Amino acid sequence: MKLKKIRIDKVALAFIAPAFLLYTIFIVLPTVSSIYYSFTSWDGLSPNIKFIGLANYKEIFTSVRFRNALRNTLVLTVFISVFENAIALALALLVDSVKWGEKIFRSTFYIPVLLSGIVSGFIWKIIYNYNFGILNTLLENIGREGWKQDWIGNPKLALIMVGIVLVWKGAGYYMVIYLASLQSVSTDIIEASVVDGAGPFQRFKSITLPLISSAFTINFTLSLINGLKVFDQISVMTDGGPGFSTETIVYLLYKSGFNEGRQGYGTAIGIVLLFLIIILNMVQQKFLKRKETQL
Amino acid sequence: MERKSNHRIKPSGVIVFVLTLALTLLFLLPVFFAFISAFKTNGEILKNPVALPEAWGFQNFRDLFEKSDFLTATIHSVILTVVSEILIILVVPMSAYALARRENKFTGLVYTFFLAGMMIPFQLYMFPLFKELKMFHLFGTLGGTIFVYVAGAVPFGTLLYHSFLKGIPLEIEEAAHIDGCTPFQTFWKVTFPLLGPCTASMLVLNGLSIWNDFLLPYLSMPINRAKTITVEVYSFVGQFTARWDIVFAGTVISIVPALIIFILLQKYFVKGITAGASKG
Repeated sequence: MKLKKIRIDKVALAFIAPAFLLYTIFIVLPTVSSIYYSFTSWDGLSPNIKFIGLANYKEIFTSVRFRNALRNTLVLTVFISVFENAIALALALLVDSVKWGEKIFRSTFYIPVLLSGIVSGFIWKIIYNYNFGILNTLLENIGREGWKQDWIGNPKLALIMVGIVLVWKGAGYYMVIYLASLQSVSTDIIEASVVDGAGPFQRFKSITLPLISSAFTINFTLSLINGLKVFDQISVMTDGGPGFSTETIVYLLYKSGFNEGRQGYGTAIGIVLLFLIIILNMVQQKFLKRKETQL
Repeated sequence: MERKSNHRIKPSGVIVFVLTLALTLLFLLPVFFAFISAFKTNGEILKNPVALPEAWGFQNFRDLFEKSDFLTATIHSVILTVVSEILIILVVPMSAYALARRENKFTGLVYTFFLAGMMIPFQLYMFPLFKELKMFHLFGTLGGTIFVYVAGAVPFGTLLYHSFLKGIPLEIEEAAHIDGCTPFQTFWKVTFPLLGPCTASMLVLNGLSIWNDFLLPYLSMPINRAKTITVEVYSFVGQFTARWDIVFAGTVISIVPALIIFILLQKYFVKGITAGASKG
């Protein structure tokens, strides 16, 4: 018996080994070594890597540039999460209740999700263009010349304009998840509530809302985490500018490492980012657990 | 769908329909704009961005392939996507199978270890990763980039296959075992075919993210050559500031394959996303 058990484990090991090795070598190893590099002044090229203790972290928490990047990241992330979820939920409710062409509508709202970050950023960069963009052309045509703007050239607007692109691109993804949870509500429950005399508003409040609340927790966390990681659109639309007005944590990380040759510092920023993501995940787990115990 | 079987057309139904239709058009407008621009001359784009092209021609696409090495970029995108997908399917389901069927302390630990990868942002480990790729002489090669994609597919793939395997009865596998199949044969000949829908979801979602990926190929692919479609579109934006028509042609080439796959296989996109969300 004992012999057999060992043999079985060998089989399991052989099945797991390729995935385990690739994952360990190309994801875990660089992640773990990034903890080490975050304590060094590594420039990415020279073979001498100098250990400088907590200096990178000290710099992160005292630098004005990092504080600006953190602020931009939070503004962008909250903006994206709030609007993506509001719009995705609205779209899901519409698609769920529309009587003709439900499938076609669902598909078209998903189409922006198919675009790459670079492509979506490029299209909107042209839409926002001051001289030839659709947005300003439209304002001219409806006689609102005064509202014309250099949408992403204006440091006060640029971050939100990038956020709009992300909301447009991402809403369809979250809509799919909301729609799935809406459609998990069985017809029996709805019919029973109609028999009991529940109006549409009451039905929404006591049946639909509780059922989509865990989808909401998942989507909100997902969109927050994705918001923290936004990179492609910023690189193609604004390159962090004008000034530093769209420089987020991830963008600062990238620029420190590749443009300024400070990969040790960049890696330390990455560790801070990872902590933010872990905290968000823990909050989500807590919320989901609380919902489960409530049910 | 029973609850939609109302016979009479109510005004509220019409309002919902019109509203949904209006929002659809609003969502599609930027994509539509990219498509028509790819067939317009630069002058037409500048003159009136929303007008249809005066003549539908493929000149922009011809210019795109003549004035840049877009062909190499396209070949690279196809190789990266296809080869990574093949390796992902060879590696990930087999490991998820072992984790799901042999549940003990060890496999439980490996499962958690794999899933933890979903939280790690690429930007965190990219600097050490490139150093490592240089060490293995994989930096600047297609192979190195492919390995990173396959490794990166392990966390989500494990989650997806692991949850799907729970719904597949053991009896068939036991029968195969009694008939003398080795575990390896049992998996590939008996279980793997039953995982079809899950594999389809895995392929479309991973394929899309590899096809669209920017930062990894931008930094890890051969230098001084065209890299991938997405990277080329990015570099055009700086390079061809006076030729948007060409950039739009590149944009369309990037979108069309994803769109075709989506139209053909959209239920697998939906299944993959919802399974990932509810288990995550």
